[in-house]
Amino acid sequence: MSIAARASPAATRRRRLRLDLTTPMLLGLPLGWLAVFFLAPIAIVAAYSFDVYSLDPGPHGFTLTAWHDFLHSSIYLRLFWKSVKMSLIVSTIIVVLAYPVAYYLALSGTKRKYVLLLLLIAPFLTSYLLRVLAWKVILGDHGVINSFLFWTGIRSPDHPISQLLYSRFAVMLVLGYIWLPFVALPIFVSLESLDRRLLEAASDLGASRLQAFRKVTLPLSLPGVFAAFLFVFIPTLGEFVTPSLVGGTSGYMYGNQIVDLFGTGFPDWETGSVLAIFLLGVVTVLTVVFARFLQPRQVAAD
Amino acid sequence: MEETTDRRLSREQLLKIAAAAGGATLLGGRLGTADAAHAALTAESGRLQVLDWVGYKNDMPGQAMFAAYVKAHPNNKPQFTTMTNESDALAKIHAGLKPDLFRPYVGWVKYFATSGLVQPWNPKLIPNFKHLNKFMVKAGQYNGKQYGIPDDWGFDAVLYRSDKVHPRSKSWGLIFDNRYKGRIAWFDDLEMLVTAGLYLGVPRPWRQTDEELKRSQDFLIKKKKLVRMIWAGESDLWEAFGSGDLWIAYAWPNDWVQMKKKKLKVVYMRPKEKPIAWVGMFMLLKGSPRPHLAHAYVNAWSSRSSGKWLEDNYGYGHANVLARPSSSDLLRALQLTNPRAVTEPAAHLDRDIPRRSVYARMWEQVKAS
Repeated sequence: MSIAARASPAATRRRRLRLDLTTPMLLGLPLGWLAVFFLAPIAIVAAYSFDVYSLDPGPHGFTLTAWHDFLHSSIYLRLFWKSVKMSLIVSTIIVVLAYPVAYYLALSGTKRKYVLLLLLIAPFLTSYLLRVLAWKVILGDHGVINSFLFWTGIRSPDHPISQLLYSRFAVMLVLGYIWLPFVALPIFVSLESLDRRLLEAASDLGASRLQAFRKVTLPLSLPGVFAAFLFVFIPTLGEFVTPSLVGGTSGYMYGNQIVDLFGTGFPDWETGSVLAIFLLGVVTVLTVVFARFLQPRQVAAD
Repeated sequence: MEETTDRRLSREQLLKIAAAAGGATLLGGRLGTADAAHAALTAESGRLQVLDWVGYKNDMPGQAMFAAYVKAHPNNKPQFTTMTNESDALAKIHAGLKPDLFRPYVGWVKYFATSGLVQPWNPKLIPNFKHLNKFMVKAGQYNGKQYGIPDDWGFDAVLYRSDKVHPRSKSWGLIFDNRYKGRIAWFDDLEMLVTAGLYLGVPRPWRQTDEELKRSQDFLIKKKKLVRMIWAGESDLWEAFGSGDLWIAYAWPNDWVQMKKKKLKVVYMRPKEKPIAWVGMFMLLKGSPRPHLAHAYVNAWSSRSSGKWLEDNYGYGHANVLARPSSSDLLRALQLTNPRAVTEPAAHLDRDIPRRSVYARMWEQVKAS
């Protein structure tokens, strides 16, 4: 007979009560934190978007005017679509670039993989701002790249490649550089947790290395790939620091417009709130859709 | 005027002033208002909170505009928060920032005076007030009350590299010139719609009709492809212009001074459509717990020596009519001897925009387009 079975009914009740209290106590703090610092601010921003709260003195009430204007504004929706495209391009390219790196680190069997991993995330040891600003030195009209082109005679100093800085290209390049480690890490983790016996089994059954990769490694690492994609896509969609530093007029993104509406643009918190809530809604939908891909997938044999 | 100001001070501050004045009278006999104010001033505590423009680099050593204030009030040194424009200042105040004073420009005097956010100054507490340019002093008034104390002044005009750029005429058109695609910078402010209006010949650029505004907005959207950068902080402009990425910019006199310091061949153009002139206006926040310290700070800024230092180092004019820069070039360029350099026929003085929110929304759409 077990000890638990021998315990008195009163002791069992006390123990159950303790268990019942433990869960809410453990969850209470993070849930309270989320409620106060995440849900409440979002509710306030939403209230601004419906003019329930307003910067303007005087009477005001619930209205959908700002939402109506936003949804009928081709300018804001076009800007949003432009930002979506930029984020998609950045996310896709760096997932493709990061996968081989993560694959090598996880599956090559090198003893120095954690050292290499550390090198990959080393840029995180410096400030975000510094990393972005460093690109200005590299990409400017008289920066490292153009100076090299002048030196080699490929370009003359009067005709530098101006599109390198203050452009959409500059924003995507810098975002890719900034977020690459975020992409490599989840893919690395999903590959490293791969059951190697499956690869051996595939090999025993006559699969080539490419077939084993296509039928076993890739499907099993897809949750990591989707997670990595989301890790980049969501924050870059609302990005505003990098575009404001290296983007110029053509690299201006949706996040910049939100910031400007809350600050330098008179301020128009009502429209800014609409843009912010819309972005949040899109991100939420994307997260829900992608979440189903984050489950480990089964490997199907042909 | 003094009564007006006192009426707007809090009850607690009034009691402090009364107690200080009364106590001093008992001890030392008759005391004037200035002495009472001095006593109140010493009763105010904490660092003076100032919301000021990014480009003034107020935290840098050697900043002399308020040196006299710091010397007199070492325990109440100013603590700065920066603003990129008046809208940014307004957003920060709405978000809960409580500066004692801040510095919008003349076009915003009416807006802030009627907003309920500011209170009038008491010029009697500013000994240097009598030396300030009378025209600019009047521009700081609303309903007969002195809501703005004029400090520096200058122009919005066109800065360009004379070794790279060859303007067809002295015109605002240079910032819309197709020949210099990718070399132009605009300023991130709704004032760009006013500039477009000036260039397009709109009769009243600050009061454009819906049709005129749409025309100005469409023009800016069409020309935006020429623009490499829309600057919000001067340091961004200096870096891009100084490194050769930009050749033409919507700029202020200080930008011209900074680029000359970098040994660039630059010209600060006076467009034929006339530059837009501005006058900085110190404004006192309603409910400020340090109103007398704020007056002392503004007095330091208003002195002749501060004015000369500002003119020498920033290339801006100063409202103190006695202040003169060391450089005669600057004196001529800014017409510092002309007390009405900021208004017709020399320039268009910036003014209130009744439909400011409409202008702002349309400017944001230009950027988003």
